[in-house]
Amino acid sequence: MEELLNRMPEFEKKIKSMMETIITNIVLLGQIPAPTFKEKARVTAFLERLAEFQVDECTTDGYRNPIGIIRGTSPNRPPIFVVAHMDTPFGYDVDHNFTIRENAIYGAGLLDNSVGVGVLASLPAIFRHLGLEFESDIVLAGVIQSIGKGNLRGIRHLLKTWSTPIRGAVCIESGELGRLNYYSDGMIRGEIKCSINRSGGRRQRFQPNAILVINEVINQILELRLPLKPRSKIIIGKIFGGLKHGQIAHEATLGFEIHSDSDEMVKSLYNDISDIVNGLGHEYEVRLELKTISNVRASRLRFNHPLVKSTIAIMRRLGLKPISEPSESELSIFLSRKIPAVTLGISYGESYQQRSSVIKIEPMFRGIAQIVGVIAAIDSGVCDE
Amino acid sequence: MNRDWLKKNTFHCSAFGDLKRLVELKSKKGLTISLCLPTLNEEKTIGKELVILKSELMTRYPLLDEIVVVDSGSTDDTRSIARTFGADVYKADDILPHLEPYKGKGENLWKALYITKGDIIVYLDADIKNIHHRFVYGLIGPLLLHDHIKYVKAFYDRPIAIGKNKIRPTGGGRVTELVIRPLFSLFFPDLTQILQPLSGEYAGFRDVFERIPFPIGYGIETSMILDIYHKWGLDVIAQVDLEKRIHRNQDTKALGKMAFAILKTFFSRTVNLGLINFNTPLHDTMIQYKLVKSEIQPDLLTIEGLERPPIIELPEYRQRFNRKAS
Repeated sequence: MEELLNRMPEFEKKIKSMMETIITNIVLLGQIPAPTFKEKARVTAFLERLAEFQVDECTTDGYRNPIGIIRGTSPNRPPIFVVAHMDTPFGYDVDHNFTIRENAIYGAGLLDNSVGVGVLASLPAIFRHLGLEFESDIVLAGVIQSIGKGNLRGIRHLLKTWSTPIRGAVCIESGELGRLNYYSDGMIRGEIKCSINRSGGRRQRFQPNAILVINEVINQILELRLPLKPRSKIIIGKIFGGLKHGQIAHEATLGFEIHSDSDEMVKSLYNDISDIVNGLGHEYEVRLELKTISNVRASRLRFNHPLVKSTIAIMRRLGLKPISEPSESELSIFLSRKIPAVTLGISYGESYQQRSSVIKIEPMFRGIAQIVGVIAAIDSGVCDE
Repeated sequence: MNRDWLKKNTFHCSAFGDLKRLVELKSKKGLTISLCLPTLNEEKTIGKELVILKSELMTRYPLLDEIVVVDSGSTDDTRSIARTFGADVYKADDILPHLEPYKGKGENLWKALYITKGDIIVYLDADIKNIHHRFVYGLIGPLLLHDHIKYVKAFYDRPIAIGKNKIRPTGGGRVTELVIRPLFSLFFPDLTQILQPLSGEYAGFRDVFERIPFPIGYGIETSMILDIYHKWGLDVIAQVDLEKRIHRNQDTKALGKMAFAILKTFFSRTVNLGLINFNTPLHDTMIQYKLVKSEIQPDLLTIEGLERPPIIELPEYRQRFNRKAS
């Protein structure tokens, strides 16, 4: 391990000398819009890039997740997965053309997760440039249908159908450099929709207003008592409704997430919200529906797991201070299948989730060096306990 | 009209995607290739063009021997960004400084002939939002694969950027359809087969470019086609489909100025060829109108139609490239 740690500054320097190739991959792939469920064009381009970089096998699985496999030197070793989600929150109508200035790249989707995808496509060239060969096969997987309503379908399918054991995994996110995720909260992402029938039924003197009904739902959710242990929270993240300033809203929708480190608590809170929805729907005589969009189970590595310890050592050697929070992403699916995994960020950014997101260029090379270091650490056996 | 040309000399960039083969051909023929990007306030796009072209066509496949930016005096960060990403950056006024300086794309392209070294020169506009290396290898391919071709012109779909973050799928090419194509139809029907004569992307052999004059401004694309057609014929010209190109939209008034410059260039060429005669000289001022505080006022722009001579007529150029006067 010490030998690997000593190489980290050299990795960073050599990776920096590949700046043009890495940024080119980020741009060529990131400029292809890939809203969730419509990732096909980006998937095709991703596979083409992998093929151009002479990856041994380039294919898609049964769910159309694009996969590149770099063959390892030891056929008996299980593979190491490196994963980045292909989809972005922006549709085809949004200009995905990036601008590159001296220190940063600007554009829609860069931080979620176009830089991650570009770096994933660059890894074969980076490994070659660093002279790295691995015992394990390295499976570079760009997974589709990850965010929002995608509900991590791509990674779920990939792992469900993968027939052999997996040695360990690194999930790549564009930002934020310094993140080290090794545990996931239990989470349910839900949507509450209020619809008021405009034509049928008896006329009410005071017509219910969908926005006000949703407002009442929020009030009642806020009255729920959340325990400090197990640690739990409800995030009200999204709301929209109504049509005109002067017209009572006939439709309104609320998006929320329940997080807890206990799956039971997540279920219990979800049931509480379900009761609120049923009660208010009845009292206001409106159609109030609760729908689950996505869910993940709580899972974690121990802080003293060798993968976590090695990752922290690598990050510290590169001058990074690891910051750990729960992450409900591809990581959750690996951990729930007892596959050791971490999520790492590539660089520092601004304006997350906005069309004008920005990612800094210079820190990227440190971010990529840590990813390469962790892959090398897994290959050296830190997950083989 | 020679209708065969469209079939024989029209290519798609995908035919030249085997970059290894292109590099081998270039090496076998002992050729060098320069890319020139003329710029004026292109800070939003120049970095991306340089990064991608350098990565794909210099580092990964050594098709280009140099990338040169010739700048007309940008007031934004164009030059510093270009330097950061490894281009050789020149201010147009600093090249051949003893000559009276002019401002314009044609001036930059002409001066680029003096500072670049390549046997093949690729000219690429610096405002391409969806830059891809096919824009360059697509233009170089026909020159390396077909010995009779000396000049390659781009054509593409033209979606245009409208406002912030929005793209309109079709549009553009108004000056081509309303000015150039009618003129070509009237005077040079063969040339109507060139689908986008005003595209800013073209490549050719130095031997060709050094022997034709360069208008300073917008007329450069039109004059280049007319001069090459007149001197060497249609068969040395090819066109290549570069697929989609996203660029800035220009308002009608700006296009009017462009059309004026192109018309001046066109008429001066047709007069020189003896195709038409004017009894009175053409004026130099484009007159448009604007509304200022409820009053209609003329908006005047003088476009003199200045041209640089074939650069081979310059002694310092002949000396630099060991050429004899033509």
